[in-house]
Amino acid sequence: MELRHITKTYPGVTALDDVTLSFEKGEVHALVGENGAGKSTFIKVISGAIHPTKGEICMEGKTYDHLDPAQAMDLGVAVVYQEMIQFEAMTVADNLFMGIRDERGLVINDKQREERTRELLRQFNCSVHPRTLIRDLSMANRQIIEIAKAVIKDAKIIIMDEPTASITVEEQANLFRVVRDLKAKGVTVIYISHRMEELFEICDRVSVFRDGQYVATKRISEVDKQGLISLMVGRELTETYPPKPPCGDEVVLRTEHLSGNGLTDINIELRKGEILGFAGLVGAGRTELMHLIYGAAKKTGGKVFLNGKEVAVRSPGDGLKAGIGLVPEDRKGQGCFLEKPIFWNISISNIDKLSHGTVVDKKAEMKQAEDYKQQINIKTPTLQQFAMALSGGNQQKVVIAKMLAAMPDILIFDEPTRGIDVGARHEIYQAMIDLTNAGKSILMVSSDMEELLGMSERIVVLHEGHQTGVLNRDEFSQEKILTLASGL
Amino acid sequence: MNEVKEKLPVHKPKKSGAQLFSDLSMPILLLLLVIVFAIWSDKFLTAQNLTNILVQNVHVAVCTSAVMIIMISGGCDLSIGYQMSVAAVLIVKLISTDHYIANPMSPVIAIILGILLCMLLGTFNGLMSILLKSHTMIITLGTMAIFQGISYLISGSKSLSKAPKSFMYIGQGRLFGWLPLNVVIMAVILIVVGFIMGKTTIGRKVYAVGDNPEAARLAGLNVAKIKVLAFTFAGLLVGISAVLLSARSGSANSGTSGPGIEFTGITACVLSGVALKGGEGTLWKAIVAVYVLGVLSNGMQLVGLGTYPQYIAKGAIMLLSLYLSNRAAKKA
Repeated sequence: MELRHITKTYPGVTALDDVTLSFEKGEVHALVGENGAGKSTFIKVISGAIHPTKGEICMEGKTYDHLDPAQAMDLGVAVVYQEMIQFEAMTVADNLFMGIRDERGLVINDKQREERTRELLRQFNCSVHPRTLIRDLSMANRQIIEIAKAVIKDAKIIIMDEPTASITVEEQANLFRVVRDLKAKGVTVIYISHRMEELFEICDRVSVFRDGQYVATKRISEVDKQGLISLMVGRELTETYPPKPPCGDEVVLRTEHLSGNGLTDINIELRKGEILGFAGLVGAGRTELMHLIYGAAKKTGGKVFLNGKEVAVRSPGDGLKAGIGLVPEDRKGQGCFLEKPIFWNISISNIDKLSHGTVVDKKAEMKQAEDYKQQINIKTPTLQQFAMALSGGNQQKVVIAKMLAAMPDILIFDEPTRGIDVGARHEIYQAMIDLTNAGKSILMVSSDMEELLGMSERIVVLHEGHQTGVLNRDEFSQEKILTLASGL
Repeated sequence: MNEVKEKLPVHKPKKSGAQLFSDLSMPILLLLLVIVFAIWSDKFLTAQNLTNILVQNVHVAVCTSAVMIIMISGGCDLSIGYQMSVAAVLIVKLISTDHYIANPMSPVIAIILGILLCMLLGTFNGLMSILLKSHTMIITLGTMAIFQGISYLISGSKSLSKAPKSFMYIGQGRLFGWLPLNVVIMAVILIVVGFIMGKTTIGRKVYAVGDNPEAARLAGLNVAKIKVLAFTFAGLLVGISAVLLSARSGSANSGTSGPGIEFTGITACVLSGVALKGGEGTLWKAIVAVYVLGVLSNGMQLVGLGTYPQYIAKGAIMLLSLYLSNRAAKKA
């Protein structure tokens, strides 16, 4: 199979830029790259889940400008998705045979199905009864079922998206055995993983993606871990960041052995006026940690101290009261009320304070909105404008204003500039720095390496729910962060 | 992989106590109600009364199977009552010896027309849900109003009656002098529906689409087509239940021949564990639930609790079953 000049653009973003890549029969081919490098988009093109904007797909001598899921399946492409999209309330056997065409007739022969399922699962060394419901299975077994599904369809190309993300070491050995077996049968396996050591154990070749572009393909015997990492990051820092005066020594937030929401033993310190960055790959638990601190998720162990005093933050309401504000990751889904005017968005978090009894003081509400509009430079002809009509950057400013109206001292910015254009980005950076000058402290999660390096005073690196390092400004480097984030 | 060919112990999934209870909860509830009313009223446990309960709910049972199919596919149909009303008034109008039309039709042709019309209305619901991409509950709230209008236009808001004897035989006839024909028809239809939903590829696909539409799409299923098909099939069943209902009295009325049945059907489905999000539901349990509600109405009537207390009881049961299914979902 070969893919030529594949380009996929979304409004304002190029997810894949002119990628050409070919796969050989019977090889295990890894795709690696940072978050947002374009790996997932690329496999979706192969599986027919999305149509590329440009480019062509060649398989077995035929050329297609795009594939549909059914078409890709007929061509022998099968995907084992990370999130495992399965029929939860149906049996293992039904999940395996759904959409399979080689069963004759309209009537289902359950006995035969179960027999075939049993036979197939025996090959995988898997002792699950065909009549078990999917939702009663462990993650590892669900994964095996997904791979079995690909085998039953006689797939020639099997794509595995982070197959080891949620399984144990023993289960992983089993999985690798299955992969090697598939390879021996001449099946091509496209393998996506953030875990470096795995690649060296199982893969033949590895292709590196960066910022939607194809970088290089190497035989795994030709590279080492550091070599791969430098291929993944090799980016020049081009943006400039507004200067930030150094922060003081006073610690405003401290966690001790904080655990819960998928995280274990997190020990961080945030100083007054500091911007503390959080780096990690998808699934490292950065957003989860922010939710833990904000009270949106339940902690199972450890302590949180605010200004030296231990606090119990059990709900977002508690978080706000304790002086923590959150600018969430998903601006449109969690941050903005899109079909409400700007002033309405800004006042919603402190509407009680702007009211006489239960009647909203319209004047105070508008004045507050006007103040924030000036302070963080929201560009809009009128405050009556719906949030929907604003650009991404200005929407983000509205979300920030909303959070500021609740008067927090510690601000959490989760992916503050995702999907925002360069100009507006700078204004958000400036706003963040102004806030720290005003004595606020910031926790910033970002998948944008440049932004992390440019804005943070220190960076905490997470890997699969564990804290793998804290870097000071003089230790900052892309390689170092990626090495820690990969758990090496 | 040959080295691991040794037999692994594969255990059949064991049913937990809670699961077993949920499997048997409907029959147990039915039995309890029967015992309670048998003690409370001496008129309850008579052959005559029990036959009445059976016969009176024949159309409800068939209709509930339609509601269940739509719910399994991930939808919800509020328009079923008036869909049924359209078919009922149309059929009776076409065949009545009261000459609403100049030359009354043969009942066979009228029945076929009525059922086809219902399938058409069901298909319309399905197509709308695909086109408008909105929740089917709201879409069918809209189509319900449309069907209501159509029904009253056909009936002229009059009670239509005097269907010919041959038609009423469907509702009143007895095989061998004792076995109600409509119960036999119901049994045959439910067996066919049970077979289609449980044993055929199309039935399995309806479950799949309701369980996880994205997984269904990725498995190469035509999700839109299957959803529309579920609505069409439900329309067919609603048409049949319209026949069963109007053949019992030989008459039809826009306001009473059907409307309200969607509530009973949905209550029975929820009570029996049909998942609101789709993908789960068992026909026999839903049918037993229909008779739980039927026995409740009948029994309350016999002990002197009229229609209005029955409404309250049915509503309370609906809410109770929602609470129970929420709790079950939390445990899982």
